[in-house]
Amino acid sequence: MASDQTYLSVKSMSKRFGGLQALNDCTFSIDSGKIICLVGPNGAGKTTIFNAITGFLKLDQGSVFFRGNGLTGIGPQKIVRAGIARTFQNLRLFGDLTALENVASAVPNQFGEEPLGALFRPIHTARSQRKTRETARGILEEVGLADQAEAFVRNLSYGEQKLLCIARVLATGAELLLLDEPTSGLSGDALEKVMVLLRRLRDEGRSQLVVEHNTRVVQQIADEVLFLHQGHLMAQGTPEAIMADPKLAEIYFGGAL
Amino acid sequence: MLLLQLLINGLVTGSALGIIAISFSLAYSTTRIFHVAHAGIYTLAGYVAYALEKSGAPDIVGLLAAMAICAVAGALIQSELYARLAQRRASHLAVLIASLGLLAVIQNFLASVFTPNILPFGSAWRGRTLSFGGVTLTEVQIATLVICLAVFPCSLWFTRRTVLGKQIRAVASNPFLAEITALRPQRTFVIVMAIASAMVAIPGALVAFDFGVQPYDGTTVLLTATIAVIAGGIGSLTGAFLMAMLISVLQNLSLLVISGEWSVGVTFLIFLVFMLFRPRGLFTRR
Amino acid sequence: MDYLFSYLILASIFVILGLSTNLLVGVVGIFSVSQAAIFGVGAYTVGYALSNDIMGFVPALALAAVVCLVLNVLITLPSLRVSGDYFVVTSFGIQLLATAAFTNWDAITGGASGMAGIPTADLFGLPIDTSLKTLILTACVACLACFAFRLVMRSPFGRLLMALREDELAVAAAGRQVLRAKVEAAALAGVFAGVAGGLYAVYLSFIDPSTFDLDASVLLLTMVVLGGARTLAGSIVGPFVVVALPQLLSLIDLPTAIAASARQGIYGVLLVAFMLFRPQGLMGRKI
Repeated sequence: MASDQTYLSVKSMSKRFGGLQALNDCTFSIDSGKIICLVGPNGAGKTTIFNAITGFLKLDQGSVFFRGNGLTGIGPQKIVRAGIARTFQNLRLFGDLTALENVASAVPNQFGEEPLGALFRPIHTARSQRKTRETARGILEEVGLADQAEAFVRNLSYGEQKLLCIARVLATGAELLLLDEPTSGLSGDALEKVMVLLRRLRDEGRSQLVVEHNTRVVQQIADEVLFLHQGHLMAQGTPEAIMADPKLAEIYFGGAL
Repeated sequence: MLLLQLLINGLVTGSALGIIAISFSLAYSTTRIFHVAHAGIYTLAGYVAYALEKSGAPDIVGLLAAMAICAVAGALIQSELYARLAQRRASHLAVLIASLGLLAVIQNFLASVFTPNILPFGSAWRGRTLSFGGVTLTEVQIATLVICLAVFPCSLWFTRRTVLGKQIRAVASNPFLAEITALRPQRTFVIVMAIASAMVAIPGALVAFDFGVQPYDGTTVLLTATIAVIAGGIGSLTGAFLMAMLISVLQNLSLLVISGEWSVGVTFLIFLVFMLFRPRGLFTRR
Repeated sequence: MDYLFSYLILASIFVILGLSTNLLVGVVGIFSVSQAAIFGVGAYTVGYALSNDIMGFVPALALAAVVCLVLNVLITLPSLRVSGDYFVVTSFGIQLLATAAFTNWDAITGGASGMAGIPTADLFGLPIDTSLKTLILTACVACLACFAFRLVMRSPFGRLLMALREDELAVAAAGRQVLRAKVEAAALAGVFAGVAGGLYAVYLSFIDPSTFDLDASVLLLTMVVLGGARTLAGSIVGPFVVVALPQLLSLIDLPTAIAASARQGIYGVLLVAFMLFRPQGLMGRKI
């Protein structure tokens, strides 16, 4: 990667929903190879930023650049191919499919993902399918869900479902992961597991942009923090610096508007 | 003059269609169920009126009885079918299929009891006509126009001004929130379905006075009404009513150029054009 | 014996149709009451081509498949653009429009009185002129269709469609094209329905609009619901049971005037009852 090129940069993003200004001239950029936490009070626009970067939402104004390439106006599918994939706050797993199938559904370049191939080259399809399942199994192992591969998602515990979300986003092969509250609702071992996993993924070279509410988690995993307020970037810096800023703490904990 | 006559005819059927549309809209925007069986309720109203006329009751009794019976039927559909499906976490598709199944049950039950043929009413006033300015209307048509045009503002007043109407709108805008406050959406849903069913019984009986009853006509009528609801903008009663008038007038005027068998086609064409250019309807606010 | 043949032939034709409907309704989760219209287009295409001696049976069947493929994609397109409930309207509208076309486009369809005297099929010079031969033909095609359905459901394409039914946004987030997958499913369903229509036309040698109306679409839906969504077994059981129903009904001596209404009413009862008490059908998965 050329050093003069920012990894991901977001320029003056704005989005209005009816009377609500969800994003207001939001600008920031981040480097690769880091875990960057997106924090801010509820309604600060964190998920909206995710939706905008991943092409699920049309911006009123502003642009997104990834490795110097503009992503504005491109559909979700192409953005995944460009190397950015996301998870959802409300999981959005496929409940009637098994854990393995959930992961497999995100593995790119499968043969027989259209009817002609599936019907007229069944053997080739089956072979590709086996390879996909192997890949998927490997990813499940990586997140520690190998023993649940054949379980239906609706029978998994909440913690396992959270891990599965990460497994599915890993399967896309994207290098930048946008994780929407990967630890929410978790505690104890399950929480620890996710934090260890995220740090390990970073060390393996997966950059992450993480929406996170738990300040303890932020302190433990974040290399950098983006503080968002009312759809605008208030501050960017190390977790220590952000946490130490009394003004930000007032906004975050005081709920001051 | 033919043009004017067709225009007036369009307004008459349009006003009836408008009431069907707003009754559907009321049920749909509150319960979020695409209540296909509403067509069955509409048809049922006509048969209730028909049965009463045959037993010698005056038509006004038939109309009121149709409203009462349909209100009960609508409430039962909500409490005994839709509520149970919701309890069992049925998918949206499953509810839709159940509603379609119920429509088939109602229509074919009526067809089995009354034969599938068109049964005309015997009442004298469907033959009595009034002429003015070269336009001829039957008394039934005039009654339809007057009653439906009166029901429309009443329904607006009801949803905007009354406590119950406001409750309904609150549940419609956020059923989940309503659930955790004291609004009890399922109870509200039952009331809404009863009201919507009583409403649809009005055009159901009036149109039957004019054209007689037929078990399967309701499907096309409801389809046209839902097109008006969508084209008028989901949730806008005024939009639905005006669109219903417009569609009906256009349908009638189209008789000048093409034969009546294709009127479904005309309506549908209007719908597709709308879907392409204004998918959110004419009267929705951004 | 003839009666048994006719039951088996009809049932196997409806298996092909049931697979088509199951693919759209059960697998992808699109509400459709217009599959009978597509079925009808297939039947009229083959009927017209054979009656007017334009081409042989096999090319006519292929033509019907292509026409229905294109048509089904076109009518499914609104479901891609507009949200679910709007498509209900579109689907009803298309069905009613198709019935209007079958009934009024006299020059092609023979209008309300239908198209009679459609020649029997021939396979590359071998005439399919007995019930037994017709049964073998339809059963073979039905088996092929079942095999194709099975291949699809076990392929990544099948998994994609199942995922689509559950969550389109998540499918898009996984880097898949939602629109393309839906179009492909509709195309496949169209081919199935078109082929079934063609077989139906040559088997009965007479077709009329009432076979392809809204009631027929409800009948198809009943087959899928009764058999069960998304499984091959369900798609076979559904048609075999539902096609037998009218015969069972004829045992209880209903007056002919109300027999048709009563039958259609029973389909309605089945739809409601299954949705309430057994949404997974006899041997399928939850719809």
